[in-house]
Amino acid sequence: MNRPTKLLNRKTAGYSSLITFAVLLLAWLSGFSSRLFAVIRFESIIHEFDPWFNYRATAYMVQNGFYNFLNWFDERAWYPLGRIVGGTVYPGLMITSGGIHWILHALNIPVHIRDICVFLAPVFSGLTSISTYLLTKELWSPGAGLFAASFIAIVPGYISRSVAGSYDNEGIAIFALQFTYYLWVKSVKTGSVFWSAMAAVFYFYMVSAWGGYVFIINLIPLHVFVLLCMGRYSPRLLTSYSTFYILGLLFSMQIPFVGFQPIRTSEHMAAMGVFALLMAVAFLKHLQTVLSKTEFKKLFIAGALIAAGIVFLMVVLATVLGVVAPWSGRFYSLWDTGYAKIHIPIIASVSEHQPTTWFSFFFDLHILVCAFPVGLWYCIKKINDERVFVVLYAISAVYFAGVMVRLMLTLTPVVCMLAGIAFSCLLEVYLKEDNTVSIPKADETDEPAVEKKNLYDKAGKMKRPRHDNSHEANGLGSNLKSVVIIAILLMLMMFAVHCTWVTSNAYSSPSIVLAFHNSHDNSRNILDDFREAYYWLSQNTADDARVMSWWDYGYQIAGMANRTTLVDNNTWNNSHIALVGKAMSSTEEKSYEIMTSLDVDYVLVIFGGVIGYSGDDINKFLWMVRIAEGEHPKDIRESDYFTDRGEFRIDAEGAPALLNCLMYKLSYYRFGELKLDYRGPSGYDRTRNAVIGNKNFDLTYLEEAYTSEHWLVRIYRVKKPHEFNRPALKKQERTISSPSFVSRKTIKRKKGYIKNRPVVVKGKRANKK
Amino acid sequence: MEVFEKLMLLIYITCCSLLIVNGAIDPEVINKSVERNIDISTQLVKITHKIQATHTGKKPFSKYSFLVNEKEHGNLSFISIKDLSTKKEFKAQENKISAGYEYEITFPSTNNQHLHIECVFTKSLIPHPSKITQNEKQLVRYFGNAYFYTPYQVLTQKTTIQLPTSTVEYSTNVPMPVVQSGSRISYGPYENIDPLQISEIIVHYENQTPFLSVTRLERVIEISHWGNIAVEETIDMTHSGAELKGPFSRYDFQKDVRSGQSSIKNYKTILPASATGVYYRDTNGNISTSNMKIMKDSVELDLRPRFPLFGGWKTHYTIGYNVPSFEYLFNNGNDYLLKMRVIDHIFDDMVVEDATVKIILPEGASNVKLISPYPVNRKEDTLHFTYLDTFGRPVITFTKTNLVENHIHDFNVKYNFSNLNMLQEPFLVIIFFFILFGIVIVFIRLDFSIYKEKEN
Repeated sequence: MNRPTKLLNRKTAGYSSLITFAVLLLAWLSGFSSRLFAVIRFESIIHEFDPWFNYRATAYMVQNGFYNFLNWFDERAWYPLGRIVGGTVYPGLMITSGGIHWILHALNIPVHIRDICVFLAPVFSGLTSISTYLLTKELWSPGAGLFAASFIAIVPGYISRSVAGSYDNEGIAIFALQFTYYLWVKSVKTGSVFWSAMAAVFYFYMVSAWGGYVFIINLIPLHVFVLLCMGRYSPRLLTSYSTFYILGLLFSMQIPFVGFQPIRTSEHMAAMGVFALLMAVAFLKHLQTVLSKTEFKKLFIAGALIAAGIVFLMVVLATVLGVVAPWSGRFYSLWDTGYAKIHIPIIASVSEHQPTTWFSFFFDLHILVCAFPVGLWYCIKKINDERVFVVLYAISAVYFAGVMVRLMLTLTPVVCMLAGIAFSCLLEVYLKEDNTVSIPKADETDEPAVEKKNLYDKAGKMKRPRHDNSHEANGLGSNLKSVVIIAILLMLMMFAVHCTWVTSNAYSSPSIVLAFHNSHDNSRNILDDFREAYYWLSQNTADDARVMSWWDYGYQIAGMANRTTLVDNNTWNNSHIALVGKAMSSTEEKSYEIMTSLDVDYVLVIFGGVIGYSGDDINKFLWMVRIAEGEHPKDIRESDYFTDRGEFRIDAEGAPALLNCLMYKLSYYRFGELKLDYRGPSGYDRTRNAVIGNKNFDLTYLEEAYTSEHWLVRIYRVKKPHEFNRPALKKQERTISSPSFVSRKTIKRKKGYIKNRPVVVKGKRANKK
Repeated sequence: MEVFEKLMLLIYITCCSLLIVNGAIDPEVINKSVERNIDISTQLVKITHKIQATHTGKKPFSKYSFLVNEKEHGNLSFISIKDLSTKKEFKAQENKISAGYEYEITFPSTNNQHLHIECVFTKSLIPHPSKITQNEKQLVRYFGNAYFYTPYQVLTQKTTIQLPTSTVEYSTNVPMPVVQSGSRISYGPYENIDPLQISEIIVHYENQTPFLSVTRLERVIEISHWGNIAVEETIDMTHSGAELKGPFSRYDFQKDVRSGQSSIKNYKTILPASATGVYYRDTNGNISTSNMKIMKDSVELDLRPRFPLFGGWKTHYTIGYNVPSFEYLFNNGNDYLLKMRVIDHIFDDMVVEDATVKIILPEGASNVKLISPYPVNRKEDTLHFTYLDTFGRPVITFTKTNLVENHIHDFNVKYNFSNLNMLQEPFLVIIFFFILFGIVIVFIRLDFSIYKEKEN
């Protein structure tokens, strides 16, 4: 990073590179350490749901090699269908951590793959802040870059996806995203094939890492398109985009999961269209140099109209003919927020697919959300080719972040960059006079984020010669300046405090280990029920046992218990999930039929009624019903599970269908006898604050196999047909229940008669036998 | 008369020789008195014998044979033979003979020898019924011999059986006299019992003590000459008592004290007093249900498996700790001696079915010699690579089956090691960074671009 400044004055260059290095190092360190809350409070453990699959896949790859991983058919998932893992994952994450593991082991450093997976995201957050620095430096100035790097290191919107243990695609994808954008901006600036080829390479890495690569392959063409519309065409643009697009296209098709999508699906069509358009424009520009002005005008209008028409027709035709696949459901839900709710309940059921609230913008970005429009304004005011890019980036990311909570993640980097620009400009104005007052060394304060800003002050100092020219022009009072500076610093300090607070309280729970504070003796208790039950499964059930549970727990069961699951978090088969939902929401007898048809050995439910855990299966139950209803509308109706007044109640007034369904019975089996405290009634559900409605029942087709210490996880064994609770009878004791009608057919009266039919008496012979 | 006596003696000798094919057994030796104490109050069968042997011919003798019948020998885990008064350990030679396994004890010639023989048998208590529900009590059966199984005549003998509680379902009450008082059953005294007499006794009684066995133990001891010895034990554990039949009810388990009495909720592991950095985890991470108490002479771990172990349930975990090397590693110049325990305490009255011990010596150790306290099955030496190793650390591996607490003894490993080897890894790092910085310096100072940008 100190090479570009090489030509500058040796002394200044040395200082500036030292400061840059120090700030980036501190940003990396503070970003890394603020992501370690979960590791320090709990342990080095994989969090939540999806990371467990990624971890399992990585462990498989490390054990069996890369090619076996690509060919991996996972028969432990989606029983009886199985899952072709190699072809249905973005392997970038596994390859990254597998590669690190390989290098470390080649150096004989025996680090367990789990620890690599746990610490991958925090390590990559440092790389993200470096790439953010580089990108912002290209867009504005190194000072703004340092601001942006410090912001992104600790901003909660990014930390939420990259704490230690949250081993997910996003952890490395944001780095790949930022770095691809940096390389792209660099290539647009220089028009160099090298940079655009590098951009394509990193785009390839991004494709291998996250489905969000579609954002890149739409944003870059949009950038090119807008530049064309603004009349900012240049040969540099032609070189960089055509190199990037062709290489990127070829690279992206190498990922098995992506395959031919880049040339067949609508999501990728914009890139192709812009490529064609750019070619056309370049051709016209070339013609312009050859032909005269009037000739060219005619040709341009005719040619443009025809070309546009042909492209449009081709896209429509291809879509209609099915060559190009229409947009997938998740993308529709990006445009129409109500779409998922109506058509795909399984997407709507995931909380991270909900629209974002205003609150969460502030929660995740704090002061940056206020500062970033300022930066955007500066960029628009002093527009150039690459600032067009950041403006488009900001606008599209804001839109997507508003649609889905999850996409807050793509907004965060651009907010950091623009806020960095804003703060940099502010300080540039207000720090001018303070330049004369030199603060010799960076004082090592406890607050890393603030410290970086202090360091920035010194970075500004380098630009003194430039500022000195306009020194007299801006007549701002020094008092005003210091007040403003102190205000800014206070705000930044509050930002750092807020970030740490949010990270520590909201985003650092592994969610498989729960902790609560005991108010009596101020001790911390740990609820380890999930691991307890999963470990029980792994140790004390047959190796090929099939466990039925709601899809949320599929990855965890596969990862921690190593048992076959029916459905998991890779929700690719809606009807299979609906079948499980149907089994959960039917009566025991009916679901037994489904369970035997699916060879289920164990059923696992999450029940939070004893400890008041709200994320349990009864609270998710309506989604099971809804998803089941979507596929089996005749058997399952959502309205059956509500009371007449439309309430979802589990107490005595609850709907009978609910009180007798399998999920209810499995959750509350023998709970009716349990008294949580001496005064309270037995069977009091703490999560829903009600006494359960169906207390004394027995299970016929299942038996309790294991229940964890706080009843959080309950596992039932599905009985085999010969094990049912039916009393065994000896042969002679068996009686066939006789209907009330007894046949009077004897040998003598073979005719038979119809019961209750009036007997017609005919003369004397009637009674004669 | 004299002739008759001689004839009788001859017949007696022939009888004995017929009975005992091995001629080494001196038929003139008799057991003057034998006192047996059979402790079946835990999952182990611990039999202590107090034997007073004399020679009828009033001649000094120096050999005595102790027999274990063939069926029991398969379960015999540990045997120790001592002089009753001096507590001096005697060596014994194990031979297979027709009557079972003979332990031929050699001691200094004497007319009257008092022996103290202790045997520990594993897997000899058979749960009956073999499957119980959660609320039932665990009953086991012990099969034994009312008489002391010996190739010699016994003048007087007595056997006491120690039970955990006084609840006995059934016990054989022949041969008389058999007396039960509290948690003790005594058989005998019997007088003038001929050699190799067997009278089977069965005791069917309640035994709720933990029936826990370690099916596989892997103990890895890694020595660092920087002052640390890391010990890691990977343990596979099974509840080997009566299996759980039917459902497990958490409600009953929590509410009813009598429920699941034979299940194992927790146990204590005792580590060396200097153990630090203790961890207790399994494949899913740290097992949060454990406590550590630091005592004066040991570190006591109160381990709770993730789930209570019922009959037939298994678990698997890893426990590890560090101890300072000065307590276990001694040297004289470049000759080193490592003195550590073959296995360590896992739980009271433990049974280890199969143990593998690996000792990882520092890189560059040579002339490795293992001296084990009892015969072990030594495997081929391997190499282990860890932090920045270049040619690997020698690993000594040995296995042993069927171990109990009495096997906690020290082994010795002697090897040569030059302290210069310790500097190898720091040098490696220094050289690496030196080269790295050199490359950076060269790369920054020199201009590698193939075309010069025009300066404006």
